[in-house]
Amino acid sequence: MIDNGFPLTTEPNILRQMIASPNIVSKMLSVATGNSSNVSNTLPDATASCVPWRITDLKHTNNEVYVDLVEEMDAIINSDGALVKCEINGEVQVNSHLSGLPDLTLSFANPSILNDVRFHPCVRFRPWESHQILSFVPPDGQFKLMSYRSNVIHLQGQKVEEYSDICKATANLRFWDMPYQCFADLTSNHGAVNILANKTCSWSIGRIPKDKAPSMSGTLALETDLERLNVFPTFQVGFRIMGVALSALQIDKLDLRNLPNRPYKGFRALTQAGEFEVRS
Amino acid sequence: MGLERHCWVQTESPLKYEKKCCPLSPDFGGDFIRPLLNSSSPFIRFTSSKPISSLFTGDRFLSASIEYNDGSSSSISPLSFSFAFSTLRSSVESNDGIWNSRSDPDFDNSHPKPNSTRKGEVSDLKMQLRQLAGSRAPGTDDSKRELFKKVISYMTIGIDVSSVFSEMVMCSATSDIVLKKMCYLYVGNHAKYNPDLALLTINFLQKDCKDEDPMIRGLALRSLCSLRVANLVEYLVGPLGLGLKDGNSYVRTVATVGVLKLYHISSATCVDADFPTMLKHLMLSDPDTQVVANCLSALQEIWSLEASKSEEASREKEALLSKPVVYYFLNRIKEFSEWAQCLVLELVAKYVPSDSNEIFDVMNLLEDRLQHANGAVVLATIKLFLQLTLSMTDVHQQVYERIKAPLLTLVSSGSPEQSYAVLSHLHLLVTRAPMLFSSDYKHFYCQYNEPFYVKKLKLEMLTALASESNTYEIVTELCEYAANVDIPIARESIRAVGKIALQQYDVNAIVDRLLQFLEMEKDYVTAETLVLVKDLLRKYPQWSHDCIAVVGNISSKNVQEPKAKAALIWMLGEYAQDMQDAPYVLESLIDNWEDEYSAEVRLHLLTAVMKCFLRRPPETQKALGDALAAGIADFHQDVHDRALFYYRLLQYNVSVAERVVNPPKQAVSVFADPQNSEIKDRIFDEFNSLSVVYQKPSYMFTDKEHRGPFVFSEELGNLSIGVESASNVVSTQMLEANDNDLLLSTSEKEESRGASSNGSAYNAPSTDGSSNQLLATHSPQPSMAIDDLLGLGLPVAPNPAPSPPPLKLNARAVLDPSTFQQKWRQLPISVSQEYSMNPQGVAALTTPQSLLQHMQGNYIQCIASGGQAPNFKFFFFAQKAEESSTFLVECVINSASCMAQLKIKADDQSTSQAFAALFQSALSTFGMT
Repeated sequence: MIDNGFPLTTEPNILRQMIASPNIVSKMLSVATGNSSNVSNTLPDATASCVPWRITDLKHTNNEVYVDLVEEMDAIINSDGALVKCEINGEVQVNSHLSGLPDLTLSFANPSILNDVRFHPCVRFRPWESHQILSFVPPDGQFKLMSYRSNVIHLQGQKVEEYSDICKATANLRFWDMPYQCFADLTSNHGAVNILANKTCSWSIGRIPKDKAPSMSGTLALETDLERLNVFPTFQVGFRIMGVALSALQIDKLDLRNLPNRPYKGFRALTQAGEFEVRS
Repeated sequence: MGLERHCWVQTESPLKYEKKCCPLSPDFGGDFIRPLLNSSSPFIRFTSSKPISSLFTGDRFLSASIEYNDGSSSSISPLSFSFAFSTLRSSVESNDGIWNSRSDPDFDNSHPKPNSTRKGEVSDLKMQLRQLAGSRAPGTDDSKRELFKKVISYMTIGIDVSSVFSEMVMCSATSDIVLKKMCYLYVGNHAKYNPDLALLTINFLQKDCKDEDPMIRGLALRSLCSLRVANLVEYLVGPLGLGLKDGNSYVRTVATVGVLKLYHISSATCVDADFPTMLKHLMLSDPDTQVVANCLSALQEIWSLEASKSEEASREKEALLSKPVVYYFLNRIKEFSEWAQCLVLELVAKYVPSDSNEIFDVMNLLEDRLQHANGAVVLATIKLFLQLTLSMTDVHQQVYERIKAPLLTLVSSGSPEQSYAVLSHLHLLVTRAPMLFSSDYKHFYCQYNEPFYVKKLKLEMLTALASESNTYEIVTELCEYAANVDIPIARESIRAVGKIALQQYDVNAIVDRLLQFLEMEKDYVTAETLVLVKDLLRKYPQWSHDCIAVVGNISSKNVQEPKAKAALIWMLGEYAQDMQDAPYVLESLIDNWEDEYSAEVRLHLLTAVMKCFLRRPPETQKALGDALAAGIADFHQDVHDRALFYYRLLQYNVSVAERVVNPPKQAVSVFADPQNSEIKDRIFDEFNSLSVVYQKPSYMFTDKEHRGPFVFSEELGNLSIGVESASNVVSTQMLEANDNDLLLSTSEKEESRGASSNGSAYNAPSTDGSSNQLLATHSPQPSMAIDDLLGLGLPVAPNPAPSPPPLKLNARAVLDPSTFQQKWRQLPISVSQEYSMNPQGVAALTTPQSLLQHMQGNYIQCIASGGQAPNFKFFFFAQKAEESSTFLVECVINSASCMAQLKIKADDQSTSQAFAALFQSALSTFGMT
């Protein structure tokens, strides 16, 4: 929110308090009162509080906090199947609905694999520096606690099949920058192949079967005077693995203090393909 | 509590949890991820467990919403939902009108065109406003709101609504904050053009400044300061003073910026009212960080503008950079917002710590800023770290190591635009210290999806950091791009391979790769490669056999691009004896002379056929004749001239022609770098600004009036030399130096441009000479022209100016290296000249130390020196005897050519000439004793 050219706040939670997101209640109110402004008339208390990211005096009937590890894997695999570049960008996302002014401590089992980390302003720096512990007073609702980068790949050397039943994949191939004439006949032994109008071939593999390796084959018609294909298309692969963080980052424990009653705690992990490409 | 590596581990209330984490829809993943990525938390409730209908009352609505929700319940997003809802609402409205359709009248017929028919409506508005002005009936505020809204919407689309000014002011007597806000907006917009009417608003604004609601006080004060009417400033002072002392931080925040606005309207009023002092007090004591940050930015602006006017202000400006103030900010930095943090970091970057302990203290304090989520803060911190450690080489290196990770993270997170900006900064660092990054090359591999500008920058970086350890991997990767479907990137990557080959000593493998490119048989690949092979041969003639064998196989018909064609022709001429059919290829090319549209190619063709003729006369004679005939008939002046020149040369003497056209060549050792190091340093000084993204120092892309005082004074300094020099001698000298520079750069350009220079640059000392003469004859004139340009009306033969008082230097000048560095960075060059040393001096200059002692005898101290014969570089400094004015000198001596290049910077520009003379005389006596 910019106040007279000067930024007032960037904290999403506070912004949400200042500007009501278009929801049913506000729509009904605006219809009823004729007031179409979403901006609230009062400044949120938190802008003046010592913990500017947190609304003061929060009360939730259900106290719950969820911690998600979301990782994106950027990788390039060359035509020989060798890994050219691989990197994992991850985020720790927290969704907290906690009353009062809770103090949370999150620790990892193996913080050493993190190459570089960036924190939400709520994270205290000293405990991280000395013990690699995240100590913070969380904002309310969903927020990104920390983002990290890691080069360690848990997957390397292990069997990919291990994940096959929880992994879903798609592969995309763009034809339109190749000297190809609108004729392609592609089939696969698993999943569905679609050739879209923009000359993109999309192959949704879905869950990878255990008994066979999915493959796609077919013919492409090239321009008439070309003897061979001298550009090499790149496949973009998308996948999603539930319950696994490929960097093998593990949350050790989450301690909550300063809370009236015991909250629910939940953790989960997810890995998706970021810029994952396979060269041919 | 131990954790398992499951999707979720729940501790309590498993039932509710079950619902959330195991949706039964087929799109398992989609449903699962959605709440995770969704930014709007209240919404998660609809998508996962609770039915959307539970939020509504009323049966009709319930059924409708469920129907709507059915198909897309898993993928619905807040935005699409609100859209869905609005369509829903409208359909309900149209069906039975349950919902009272009270839509806003002004938005339904919105965006009227600014034309004359609106005039009537404006006067209509005026009438209505006037009726409402005095009314106190209930509901007046609502109708006023509608009218105000209309006025504002007319204003924003450019209709002249200034005629309702007085009515607006009359209507503003209300307690409704929305009305007030709209009224302030209107007044702020129109006051500037109606200064007389603006007076009307002062009264109610002043009254509002004393309102009990801090929001209204703040708003009123802000509007009062935004009137920008010079003769109303007297009314501003009182409210501003009160605002600065207000109990509410919002009002103080507004008031601090208000002071700055007041300063811009009338600086005298602002200073007389002693506001800067109040701001300073506020800055050092206010509990609210936003107030403190605003004070800082206001004070910085005021005092840097004031500094030129008064001594006191410049002292205050310095005081902002004093140790207590800087430490005060550093200790509070964590409380500030991101922008304010950037402001503070910028301030600290200007601060010069007294010793290295202090530097380490500052860096330790700010270490955690590198892990801030905001990229701007990270970059500002990096800039600070780099600048602080400039004088400490080893720590500087450690800083590089430390900042690498945050920068790389910034690159990989965020939009391509952001990663481009960060990559530009990385690029700068990579070019400064390629060794430190040589193990991180994989981060700069291009991804298929990245936009072109990011890829291009990454290619440049890969080129820059190629070293012996990683060349193989980098070149392999670049070769992948050469086969890429993206043609511009393929070209760029081939060029990058070539550049790496020119940097490296071990080019074996790279040459093979380049030659493989030629076999790919794609015309753009072939074209780029030919240009590169040509450059390679110029640097490594020993590779000619391998290259020529492959190049010989290329049919000239497949090469169409002028640059590539020129390169091929150059090789044909240069290696005519190694290529069997060179004369015949040239001959066929000459047959198509008419179709050759590029003059560059025709020029090369002439030279190549000459070279070929000189080596293999019988086979080439016919081709040469055709070429010369065609060339002389050519309409292009250069081609015509060159053909005629060759013709006459051959007529005169063939052996002379041989010496001119085909002399023995030296391999080119280093190709010219288009950017000189001074510019690069300047860009580095402007780290964390657009200069880095543009790869240009700021003075190259900013208008004069927006440049900082620093660059401006440099120009002044240069001008003052021209004016003050007693006899124009110095300015002439400088001009000559400049001209020499120009000459140098053009010949360098030619060198790098391609093969033509290989022909001409080697065999054309005569042209150089002639142009020198040309310049020599012209040189006195430009200096006068410059005098005239200055518009100072100086007589053509200026009177001998009064000679400046003799300059005395302090015998015991003291300056520590970091201060020197700081000054060197800040001060403009006041004198830059070349000076030829006497041979005795050069003879005595076997080690740098000998000169140091000599200069010390003349009260000129050395702070750093280095180099080996024939190139020495010294940094000297000296101080004036009476006052603490310092002179800084960079002196580069080439003992082979007996030339010394001087760059002098001085605290006091006016005495720099005198000091230059002193320095030269000191230098001239070196080696005499």
